[in-house]
Amino acid sequence: MKTPTAIIADDEEPMRQLLRARLHEAWPQLQVVAEAANGVEAIALTGLHQPDIVFLDIRMPGLSGIEAARMLFNRCHIVFVTAYDQYAIEAFEQGALDYLLKPAGGERLKTTCERLQARLGKSPDNIERQLTQLLAHTAQRKPQEYLKWIQAQVGTSLRMISTREVLFFRADEKYTRVQTLEGEVLIRKTLKELEDELDPKEFWRIHRSTLVRVDAIAEVKRDLRGRQMVRVRNSEEELEVSRGNTHLFQQM
Amino acid sequence: MAFSRTKKGTRSLFAFVGEVGDTARTLWWNFFDWLAQVEWRKLAVIALVALMLSAPFRLGESVAMFIVFSVGLKVLAGGKRRAEGEARVAEQQAGTETLERRLVEAQMAALQAQVEPHFLFNTLALIGQLIETDPPQAAKIHAHLIDYLRATLPQMRAKGNGTLGRQIELSRAYLAIMQARMRERLAVSIDVPPDLLSASFPPMMLQTLIENAIKHGLEPKVEGGRIDIRASASSTAAGNVLQIEVQDDGVGFDVHAGDGLGLTNIRERLRLLYGSRAQLIIEAPLDGGARAIIRMPFAPDIFAGSKL
Repeated sequence: MKTPTAIIADDEEPMRQLLRARLHEAWPQLQVVAEAANGVEAIALTGLHQPDIVFLDIRMPGLSGIEAARMLFNRCHIVFVTAYDQYAIEAFEQGALDYLLKPAGGERLKTTCERLQARLGKSPDNIERQLTQLLAHTAQRKPQEYLKWIQAQVGTSLRMISTREVLFFRADEKYTRVQTLEGEVLIRKTLKELEDELDPKEFWRIHRSTLVRVDAIAEVKRDLRGRQMVRVRNSEEELEVSRGNTHLFQQM
Repeated sequence: MAFSRTKKGTRSLFAFVGEVGDTARTLWWNFFDWLAQVEWRKLAVIALVALMLSAPFRLGESVAMFIVFSVGLKVLAGGKRRAEGEARVAEQQAGTETLERRLVEAQMAALQAQVEPHFLFNTLALIGQLIETDPPQAAKIHAHLIDYLRATLPQMRAKGNGTLGRQIELSRAYLAIMQARMRERLAVSIDVPPDLLSASFPPMMLQTLIENAIKHGLEPKVEGGRIDIRASASSTAAGNVLQIEVQDDGVGFDVHAGDGLGLTNIRERLRLLYGSRAQLIIEAPLDGGARAIIRMPFAPDIFAGSKL
């Protein structure tokens, strides 16, 4: 029987050394043929060395362990390694996936190695479904694709303004005025572009030329001519609500 | 203001009348407030003096009428007005209290900004590995971790953490741990003039910026990168300003990812502590990465020179 081989993928070198040393104790015959520092390297090295087993750290730059596993699962046995990932650990348990907790060692590593030894001759499990679920979950956890940072040229530097800081946006000919607590800046994006990119729950279009941050609104009142006016926290300015948008404040 | 929409010709006249009206109203309310709050004895003395002074001008009768009117007004409406005044003072006090409460809340939130489990577990795993391969290095990292936890865990957080020097020490401990883990993927430079170390600086702000730089900038970057921490003081028209800068050359901004609780908390605390005199500025440097700058008022330590 040929010598079993493995690859260790972890972005932190001390962790790779640790796992290599522990594997050597638990399974002296296993030969670690390569170490990868990220998901992309893991895939390339797997192609090169055709190992029986790949140990994949979950959090790696470039390509995560789970993403890498999806490209490797039918070529070799996969063992995930993590220091702390509550959700992933639960998913591994449910999906009967092999995983190790850092720092790996002791009985747990021994059990994993025995399991791997028993399965060496067989072809790897088809774990595509579990991996897809895991990936869908990580994608879901990503914030929605709304614009969260406004880029503005201030002097010679490119300022990043969090949308949380913005009180309101106002169309100003070709530009848009961004009002924050600290002052105002002009950006090139039009109000229409901003409206399309921003979270509609975070900013409301109250007028052809105004987008206001909903939780910055202090009060809505009527002026002498019966127009609805919005007063924004920490700002002197009153923003007009155009007739088409008065429904936004109907219950008030 | 209310007259600005009338026709042009009459506008200035209306404005003038309006202004006279405004002034008269202000004067009247000032008088009313004074009347409501003045002591009866003082009012009696003033009335007597007014009567005596007005006698030679044969105005005694109208002054007497005015005194009767004032006394009547004080009796009838004085109490209400005084109560209003007291309510206003109480409201202002309540406003200050709200502000103080918000500051305490923001500080609590910062205190609770806990140690990330990921960081803790990975660091412990590293120490476990180093104990076998490099015991002296294990002892070093272990000491750094203790320093870090002492400053970060709310229960352990000692007083006297509020200087820039202490915050830099804490950051050094954290960065030393991260360098042991990321090895050549993390380069660090810290440039803080010694005379700024005693400057007061709120806890956990610098730490948050550094953790952000590593977590969002450098860890996701395959080849890693560097982090530069700089402090400087300058004097401007608005007074002395302390500037702390944390810059990384990591993967830069994802304009669709939120700015997280850390930055919001810094912003809120700066506003509560220093009002508009402090700022958190985030920039995208031309050559990539991210730069975070905190500017705040700085009172130079006048004894710093004598210690050197």
